[in-house]
Amino acid sequence: MPIIEINNLSKSYRVYQKREGLLASIRGLFHREYRDVHAVRDVSLSVDKGEFVAFLGPNGAGKTTTLKLLSGVIYPTGGSASVMGYTPWVRENAYRRKFALVMGQKNQLWWDLPAQESFRLHQQIYRIDQRDFQSTLDELTELLDVSELLSRPVRELSLGERMKMELIAALLHSPEVLFLDEPTIGLDVVAQHNIQQFLRYYQEQRGITILLTSHYMKDIAALCKRVVVITDGTIKFDGSLAGVIDSFSGTKLVRLQLADRQSADGLEQFAEVESVELPKVTLRCEKSAVTKTLATVLQKYEVEDVSVEDPPLEEVIADLYATGAATEQATQEVSR
Amino acid sequence: MPIPPEPQHPSYAKVFLTFARNSLVRDMMFRANFLIEAVSSLSWAVMNVGFYWIIFEHANSIGAQTGWEKYEFFVFMGTTWIINSIVQAFFMPNSEEFSELIRTGGLDFAMLKPIDTQFLISLRKVAWSSLANLVLGIVIVAISLAQLASRAEDPWQFQPAMLVLYPLYIACGVAILYSLMICLAATSVWLGRNQTLYDFWFYITNFSRYPMEIYARGWGLPLLVVFTFVIPVLVVVNVPARLLAEPLSPRASWEWPLAGFTLLATLGCLCFSRWVFRTALLSYRSASS
Repeated sequence: MPIIEINNLSKSYRVYQKREGLLASIRGLFHREYRDVHAVRDVSLSVDKGEFVAFLGPNGAGKTTTLKLLSGVIYPTGGSASVMGYTPWVRENAYRRKFALVMGQKNQLWWDLPAQESFRLHQQIYRIDQRDFQSTLDELTELLDVSELLSRPVRELSLGERMKMELIAALLHSPEVLFLDEPTIGLDVVAQHNIQQFLRYYQEQRGITILLTSHYMKDIAALCKRVVVITDGTIKFDGSLAGVIDSFSGTKLVRLQLADRQSADGLEQFAEVESVELPKVTLRCEKSAVTKTLATVLQKYEVEDVSVEDPPLEEVIADLYATGAATEQATQEVSR
Repeated sequence: MPIPPEPQHPSYAKVFLTFARNSLVRDMMFRANFLIEAVSSLSWAVMNVGFYWIIFEHANSIGAQTGWEKYEFFVFMGTTWIINSIVQAFFMPNSEEFSELIRTGGLDFAMLKPIDTQFLISLRKVAWSSLANLVLGIVIVAISLAQLASRAEDPWQFQPAMLVLYPLYIACGVAILYSLMICLAATSVWLGRNQTLYDFWFYITNFSRYPMEIYARGWGLPLLVVFTFVIPVLVVVNVPARLLAEPLSPRASWEWPLAGFTLLATLGCLCFSRWVFRTALLSYRSASS
């Protein structure tokens, strides 16, 4: 049975459409024009217990709004959602004791106080038994390697250290469902890696369900088996990371290692030439034409080595973001 | 052995104590700031006492036959300080921050916690330095009462009921002001930002800091009605101060009904503020990621 079930969830805002210039601003005092922004439209999704799902999409695609709806922070305009059997926006205590939301852009720890003090406050609010509290805290601080920093004021911590503390604060009450909104934003490679490692370990150990949004492909590749691509508030893809490439990239990269003294002239007749750094040449061709093109090239040129690859994920995703509208068709094909 | 059900509610007292403790730890960390705050608000209070002292050099009482002579009025003023300092210590920093949380989207975290959101928002910080004025208020009240009790003509007499009623009505006053403040702060949800909180607060509490008889003439009458029955700030200080200082002896016939009305007004204000708060949360949009 799915632990998270979302049906036709929608959220739209009415925003004041401000026009440029002083005169327009004054006019705006009396007559305001509004515009509806559909942050999330008709999103349906179901997630099983223990899944680690990534939300992928450009800024403003509706990923964070979806997480906020599931956290009960904002109310939907339409549709329904159920997490562990609760409707999030009813905000029952029983529900709020069972999940956590971590936002990479916002912090909830007291800025001037050591993280330890904020943790103790969480202990009181969640009513965590002293022994459980201590053992959870010990485990988490050890895993994240921040035991030494507990008594240092939060404002003196580095961004990475602070993020780790935020994670601990969110996990103290052992939530069963965790929403992570860009947890590694702004972190250096090492800190990102640490947090990835931690999340993977923690998720495997506890079998909790995690929804993650991130812009770092590495986060997603390292952690999530399932990827949900959202653009313009709608789901464009739902499946494995490899599936993203299969569905959205119509091309393959053919890498050739030419023999000595073999020139690359004329290759452009057979496929788009991506780069030429002799003896290496990279061609891009339609998936359906790969075998035919390759056969021709091998016949006409002296080639020492050849490999056929998918284009890099970043590139596929970037194309996907850029052509949000163009993917409508793809959605119909891949929707499940 | 059956497993006891998991407690769903936190212990509000313990949470509040943790808030108070954390605030104190923080205040102590910036002790110079703490001292400056305490000293500056104390000086402001002392200057006020001086100001009214001078006024009473020119006049014997506020209005004829109102009974608000020098020391009665000083009891009134002391009561004002007591109430204001409680509000400023416990609710003012939080209401102000509430506006800010709405604007920046920080309210998200408060809404995630398995605890009453209004409680969490209203009491998360304590401005300990504001309590300096509480001490001053108590001192002013005590000295003034001693003066009233030692005068030759109709000396002030202690009544045991005062021991209950005075704190009760102080609490009512605080509750009314708190309700007003949280309502003002909640409007940030619709206004986007509300920097006028302090201004409003200043305008409105200004009405509360004088005996209500001042308004009982001419143009003051509509004000008296509005600030007693619509936005009941006039009863905030007037009722507890009258109960204690007893400016009119014997008490006037309208004083007890007014005290009764104050209880109702307090209840009404608290309910209204809760309604406003909940409605505001429904409209909360949460700022950008």
